[in-house]
Amino acid sequence: MTEYTADPTMHLTEEERQTFADGSMPDARRREVGEHLRDCASCAADVERLRRLMTRTREAPPPTPSASLDELWPGIRARIEERKVVTLPTRTPARGARPNGGGRLRWAVGLAAAALLTISLSLALRPRATQTAAGVAAGDRVIRTDSALALTAAVDSARSYQEEAQVLLDRLELQRAMLGPEASAAIDRDLAVVDSAIAELQSAIRHDPNDLRLRQLLAMSYKRKVDVLKRVGNAG
Amino acid sequence: MSLEARATGGGATAVTGDVVRQDDVVLRAQEGDVDAFETLYRTHAPAVHALCRRMVGDEREARELVQDVFVRAWERLTSFRGQSALGTWLHRLAVNVVLERLRSARREALRTVDGGDDDDRFTARAAPSDADARMDLDAALARLPDGARTVFVLHDVQGYQHEEIAEMTGIAAATSRVQLWRARRALTRLLDP
Repeated sequence: MTEYTADPTMHLTEEERQTFADGSMPDARRREVGEHLRDCASCAADVERLRRLMTRTREAPPPTPSASLDELWPGIRARIEERKVVTLPTRTPARGARPNGGGRLRWAVGLAAAALLTISLSLALRPRATQTAAGVAAGDRVIRTDSALALTAAVDSARSYQEEAQVLLDRLELQRAMLGPEASAAIDRDLAVVDSAIAELQSAIRHDPNDLRLRQLLAMSYKRKVDVLKRVGNAG
Repeated sequence: MSLEARATGGGATAVTGDVVRQDDVVLRAQEGDVDAFETLYRTHAPAVHALCRRMVGDEREARELVQDVFVRAWERLTSFRGQSALGTWLHRLAVNVVLERLRSARREALRTVDGGDDDDRFTARAAPSDADARMDLDAALARLPDGARTVFVLHDVQGYQHEEIAEMTGIAAATSRVQLWRARRALTRLLDP
């Protein structure tokens, strides 16, 4: 900070005007500058102008949104749901990576996963029907970001899991003879839940082939199917 | 609760009269409840919008940033430990999101204070040729260069110190001071000609 001189013919520096106006000037300097302001109408008027700006800033109401902020929520929710339900690995997971636990618990987990998939699908599909036009635009804008890469990855993931599921299904047919009727029926019920979700997704994709969320959910549902079939294989 | 009720937020908010039991809502949102997070959004979106709007000076960009802030908040909500109010946590998060946007979109904006060329551009942009005595603060802020506007909003509106601004933006504290003074000068020309 420049040294203040008592010479009344010299005007205050910019720094002195600013820091005096906003109160950040040290007290000792403040007294000296105050004396100058009593004698110098030009500097006093300028400091007063800065103070008016500071008062105006403090009292200004917050800016009003151009449209309701509620309109932004569907787009935010779509992005959140996207992150919440889709965690696709880039490669097919290693087979038999996890040791097998208790049979009843495994099936409970499998069913819960299938149920979760159904809920996720419902939530993912629902906002399309209810969100506003602005919300759709906001959501679509976000989804378009990196959409080509993401879409390709989702299609590849779905195909990869589908192929793996088919291999495991073939293996399951060979194992059926060794499974009891109850276990076999339980497997079929679990697979039916997943297959139902897959069929619903495939139907939706036929209407909207470039919908990234649908593609990702389809990949995830095939992964669920693979998980169910792996549990069967491990149990055998 | 039915799926539809959860999806629409019906019955999902911990509301007693007009008072939202924010701690419960935050906890539920941290556990993955999107409906609870929607309640937080509706509570805090206006303040986040005001901050974003003033920092970038553009409504369309501010609305994009509001979305980015809340998506980021969702991703990081588990790191909120409750030592401060959620509004304070969100405020700091929003500042960071806006600064990231400014850095990536206008990499030089926060540093351009030293050159004479920039002085000319600054003066021209904030020139009061079409100044309106009734112009409001936000319209005037929108005319400032990004760097000056950012520092002015952080210091004079949000109350940060120059050292804090320096840490957040990566500029020197002295640069922050100069930006602030230039912003004030430009605003007085626009608002108090």
